[in-house]
Amino acid sequence: MTEFIGIDIGSLASKVVLLSNEGEVIDYRAERSTYDFKRIGHNLVNDLMTKHSLNRENVFFISTGYGRNTIDIADDRITEITAHARGAQYFFPGAQSVIDIGGQDSKAIVISKKTGNVIDFQMNDKCAAGTGRFLEVMAHALEVPIEKIGELALKSNNPAAISSTCTVFAESEVISLFARGSSKHDIAAGIHKSIARRVAGMAKRIGVAPLLVFCGGVAKNVAVKSFLEKELGYEIVTPVLNNESGAQFTGAIGAALIAQEHNGR
Amino acid sequence: MDNFELLSEYYTFLKEKKGEGKKVVAFMSHDNIPEELIDAAGFVPLRMIFAGNDELMDASHDFLSPSTCAFAQSCIGVFSVKPERYKFLGLIDYFIVSNHCVSDICASEVIAKYFNIQRLNFYVSYTKTENSLKYFKIELLDLKRELEEITGTKIDNQDLMDSIKKYNILKKKLLEISNLTLKGSQKLKIFHKAMLYGPDILPKLDNIILEQLQTQISEESKDILLTGCSIFIDDYLNDLIEEGGGNVVFFDTWVGFNYYYQIIDEKAINASEDSIDLLVHRYEKNIYGDHSVPNFLERKVAHIENFSRNYERKTGKKIGVINHIIKFCDHMSIMSSHLKNQLKEKGIYVLNLERDYSRANRGQLSTRIEAFLEMM
Repeated sequence: MTEFIGIDIGSLASKVVLLSNEGEVIDYRAERSTYDFKRIGHNLVNDLMTKHSLNRENVFFISTGYGRNTIDIADDRITEITAHARGAQYFFPGAQSVIDIGGQDSKAIVISKKTGNVIDFQMNDKCAAGTGRFLEVMAHALEVPIEKIGELALKSNNPAAISSTCTVFAESEVISLFARGSSKHDIAAGIHKSIARRVAGMAKRIGVAPLLVFCGGVAKNVAVKSFLEKELGYEIVTPVLNNESGAQFTGAIGAALIAQEHNGR
Repeated sequence: MDNFELLSEYYTFLKEKKGEGKKVVAFMSHDNIPEELIDAAGFVPLRMIFAGNDELMDASHDFLSPSTCAFAQSCIGVFSVKPERYKFLGLIDYFIVSNHCVSDICASEVIAKYFNIQRLNFYVSYTKTENSLKYFKIELLDLKRELEEITGTKIDNQDLMDSIKKYNILKKKLLEISNLTLKGSQKLKIFHKAMLYGPDILPKLDNIILEQLQTQISEESKDILLTGCSIFIDDYLNDLIEEGGGNVVFFDTWVGFNYYYQIIDEKAINASEDSIDLLVHRYEKNIYGDHSVPNFLERKVAHIENFSRNYERKTGKKIGVINHIIKFCDHMSIMSSHLKNQLKEKGIYVLNLERDYSRANRGQLSTRIEAFLEMM
């Protein structure tokens, strides 16, 4: 019996998923990526194989994500664009578009209705604006844990205006908003609105449409989702895995599903 | 031959030319500069077809804002940093200031002014009307006069005609090469070399082709038409395309088609008594160059669609288009979404790839390219 592993080495988090021959998610795990992608990736895969008593020859696995090329024990590699498109369709078979906001970049993907393949995509530029890293820097400036910043933002009825799209300048802007007496939740809302505006603008340029799946680590943030829906003008969905957010695992699941398809050939 | 060897040999070549008493005239690489006129005057034309890196771009910020075209930044940077591999730039005697775009004007003016290189001028109109053709002729005659004043010798009509014919042969050869089944990197190397050395490369060109023919192309590779900005010497972009499983089969750029398709037809050569008029004729026919407006976009779309259909008919393979946009090249950048949308409507996949010469975004670029190839 062959099983399939998808590993997504992101800039901030590495995720691994084990898929059964029938395409069921058996197990999954995430760990913070360090500078040593290769070690983290190998550890995640080895731990998973040990836990499930798997032999390497009975496992077919594909790496994806920013550090995909460092995982030299993988059978194949694919980009996170293709992996997320495939993973999004696992959770939502009718998915037509994907927005993936990860630690280092954000992507918008359009999926063909007919074939389920990627027909267009757009990535952010080499800049932290509109990414998880931007949120991390802002959470630090606000002295709020990253897990809580979304909830804080949703308490605001009057989001502060954050005009800068540059992380460094936006951080200065946050400090000056504090100095002018703006509340923490208004500033937090302004930060989320600015991310949503930037990402939605990029997504609209390539013609995203419902059903739109929001995935990547930032999709766990309720305020980004809410502001994205406002910017796009429709509801978006996020993956759920075992009653908790599965957004972060979309790419790894996509890679495992593609491993299953490749191995079947 | 790697780029270091190419540039090192080019230094020797230029030194020899200087030893023969020839002067070197450099210019930003656009496709309307009359290199035949420079050659006929006994000068060596030097096209700036060199890509940059972080160090070169940073160095240019002493002269220009960082939000200037990355190619213009790099051209200035290379004069400022003076890397050893580019030591041949120290042999330049004149720099032509031209106006292909705003960045061309800025960079060429800065280079001439701050690096003590004597300046020549050659301005071109953006249109192909009767008046702009007249203006182009005036500019040609002015440049001719300037070159004659430097040498103290008249440029004979026959000398210019001979130069035109020499460059015609070179371009015909490059056209032939572009139709060969070679790897994109091999074609690119030949184009780079030919555009550096000019017709002097002709006797060696057949050998170079034979050398390059020895490499096989994977049947699984995805065929790419590269449009937009050129891939210059020392750029890693083509490596990323090939590493990702792609192969550029057609370079629809300055380095490539925009250069070699500008062949003056024999009929015009035989019918014309004035060789300057032949250069005007060529300028008029240069409708695919990105300096040519109005209707730049319509022509570009029609040209790419035409190539794509013919290619599919001949090979049974679809091509994907990579539209290479050097950061802050406003012309390419503004047109990019329109180009993409119009080609998409015709069923042609397009990747708009905007970047500068920074080594830091190599990973992100390769993700975009690989994702595009997977999509194809």
